[in-house]
Amino acid sequence: MSKRLVITGAGVVSAIGVGKEQNLRALQTMQGGVALVSYLATEHTECRVGEVKLTNGEMMQMLGIAEDTPMVRTSLLGMLALREAVAEAGLSSEDIAESAFINGTTVGGMDMSEQFYLDFISETGAEGAPVHYIKTHDCGSSTDLIADYAGHFAMTTSISTACSSAANAFVLGARMIESGEFDRVVVGGSECLSKFHLNGFNTLMILDQEPCRPLDATRAGLNLGEGAAFLVLESEEAASRRGARVIGVLEGFGNACDAFHQTASSADGEGAFLAMSQALARAGVRPSDVDYVNCHGTGTPNNDPSEIAAMRRVFGNALPPFSSTKGFTGHTTSASGSIEAVFCLLALSHQFLPVSLNWSQPIEPDLIPVTQQTSVPARPIRRILCNAFGFGGNDTSLLFSKS
Amino acid sequence: MEIEKLKEQIIDALNLEDLTPADIEDDAPLFGEGLGLDSIDALELIVLMEKFYGIKLQNPAEGKNIFKSVNCMAAYIEANRTK
Amino acid sequence: MYVQAANQISIQNPLSEEWIDAPLTCSDSYCRAQDPDFKPYVSPIEGRRMGKVLKRALAVSLKTLRDTGIEHPDAIITGTGLGSVESTEAFLLDMCKNGEQLLKPTHFMQSTHNTIGSLVAIQTKTHGYNSTYSHKQISFESALYDAFVQLRAGEIGNALVEGHDGTTPSYFRMLELIGYVGNEGQVACSEASMATLISSTPSDSDLCQLKAVKLMHRPSIDDWKNAIARLDLPSDTVVFTGENGHAANDRLYSDVLTALLPDVPTVRYKQWFGECYSASALGFYAAAHLLKAGKLPGNASAALLLTMDLDGDAALTLLAR
Repeated sequence: MSKRLVITGAGVVSAIGVGKEQNLRALQTMQGGVALVSYLATEHTECRVGEVKLTNGEMMQMLGIAEDTPMVRTSLLGMLALREAVAEAGLSSEDIAESAFINGTTVGGMDMSEQFYLDFISETGAEGAPVHYIKTHDCGSSTDLIADYAGHFAMTTSISTACSSAANAFVLGARMIESGEFDRVVVGGSECLSKFHLNGFNTLMILDQEPCRPLDATRAGLNLGEGAAFLVLESEEAASRRGARVIGVLEGFGNACDAFHQTASSADGEGAFLAMSQALARAGVRPSDVDYVNCHGTGTPNNDPSEIAAMRRVFGNALPPFSSTKGFTGHTTSASGSIEAVFCLLALSHQFLPVSLNWSQPIEPDLIPVTQQTSVPARPIRRILCNAFGFGGNDTSLLFSKS
Repeated sequence: MEIEKLKEQIIDALNLEDLTPADIEDDAPLFGEGLGLDSIDALELIVLMEKFYGIKLQNPAEGKNIFKSVNCMAAYIEANRTK
Repeated sequence: MYVQAANQISIQNPLSEEWIDAPLTCSDSYCRAQDPDFKPYVSPIEGRRMGKVLKRALAVSLKTLRDTGIEHPDAIITGTGLGSVESTEAFLLDMCKNGEQLLKPTHFMQSTHNTIGSLVAIQTKTHGYNSTYSHKQISFESALYDAFVQLRAGEIGNALVEGHDGTTPSYFRMLELIGYVGNEGQVACSEASMATLISSTPSDSDLCQLKAVKLMHRPSIDDWKNAIARLDLPSDTVVFTGENGHAANDRLYSDVLTALLPDVPTVRYKQWFGECYSASALGFYAAAHLLKAGKLPGNASAALLLTMDLDGDAALTLLAR
């Protein structure tokens, strides 16, 4: 890359906690956050999901938002994460005013739309229905609610590429900084659980009623999750100008399309292969320089072998240590790219490898993910590849290194 | 089991607007070479079986054998229907 | 950067520029798009699962690629406010009315916003960069901005940039409930599908050049002033505005125009195409074709497209001959 892109702040909310401290502790002590659904009002009470263990009201209280303010859950999760990222980076209101904000989301305000939809379209009129939730339905509205909580950003936009949305926010943000459009872009994603997409994944028959088992021979689908994470991405020059502490470096990125099927990945993982290869090429590093791969690893029968096929094409037979953290958080869909990016930064700064929870049997004899928490990793962790793949074969790979 | 009715249900479920039941041969493969259906169509056929015949398929992979042809599907429905 | 081709499906005659000389008018508060014959673009078996927005997206994309002779663009970048809204609503209605059983996977699959851009990639077997933006009125400009940044940096040589939104009767009613559309004197609430091919190299049949794209959030008049000053506007520039007859919306434009561009001729493109989240994609399309045809007021050589929404998101795009 022409300019070094550094990360100076990060915030995260997921099923394993609010804030980096709680998430780090859960990862290191191998405490997952997936459980039977309890916050989302769904008929599918048999579903295991990674919910953030807070009601909307509790989050509004934490955020100091008046309880009668119309809010969608995607935005509340996002505000918690953004607040932490901005605080860590030490951004002033002037800093924010010259920054851009890019949010990845697909669900947006669907959690409220699905509660009131029949009222909105009622033939007899929508009298008494909270029609303001029509305004907060779309992705962009969720984004602006999050952004405006932190201050007055110079520009906001929303990326909606399903499960790779947040990762693609890094890609645009990085290019904006490299090209001199902005010195600083806050990137990430936010997504709450909704009945809409829980049922959607259910119709695709890729939900496992048991705890999900990514990268395992007995895997039978994914558990959905929710959460948000944002990261402050800056040019190294801008960060040092304001004396900011660097917590990680975005060395490379790649985005490619599998162009195979709307909901299935190709057997040879072409899109994933291209995305990972581009990320390495952009950083100018060799495959052997990668110390850990945070897999997309959803635990569906289709995703995992395709991703592994792509990794074999990139790394040959000498795969670096790899795992999927979706056993901890569930699949946080649009937010997964940034939540897992935060996990990668934690792994780099605290020198540990997150495990694949619930793993017991290899897909192929030599395909053994990280499953044990060792106090000192076998080799120093300097560089991590983080994958996020979405419907439509939208494949993105991010390469992070230590500060 | 009435094959014509099942064909109409298939046409409806898969939005095969331009086809009539006569266009679908009883023994021709539904997937691959035949009608060229794919994995999402298979999921729609699973919904169809539950909706009209009360058959709940847990594992989508089982669909592969059941949906070989209309005859095959009809035989499976006959043997497993609960309504 | 050169706009090599641009095609539309809207309330005007589809895949055609007939509207330039003979625009259709719609006096209703809600008008659906005029669909072309989809057969040259989608086979019936392929199209069996596609909603209107997807078929339209394929038609305008494939026509644009055929116009330019490009098989695999380096990037496919899409803007859409709502994605395939008819599929989203079908799934939502089914779920809300009949409960969480027996729902249709096809509707869910199509509801995802990036199904549109992915479909174009799958049909053309394009493995290049693919992304989708969903940010209300500036969804299309967000996609255009991504393409602009990459083209300028030389990361890609060309990009297929798109804007797509459909409006179902029930979504129209919902927008009416919150007062966004259907007001006295306002243009029709409509639908839009547009694809354009933008390249870093010129061709014989280019429509115009793309000079600048900028996105802004809650800009002050000073922010507008700075942004416009940086553009170095030719003296014969025409402004394309998103004015639509909605008082609060139009005030956003008149505030900027009065303060900063008082004597500049304006074109209200929504009089031809109506209002929806991707309306500005048609503003872009119209400006490009009118520049090429030499039919802008005073035969102007540049068009500045302004887009603003009531929530404070804004964009400006400069096209020039």
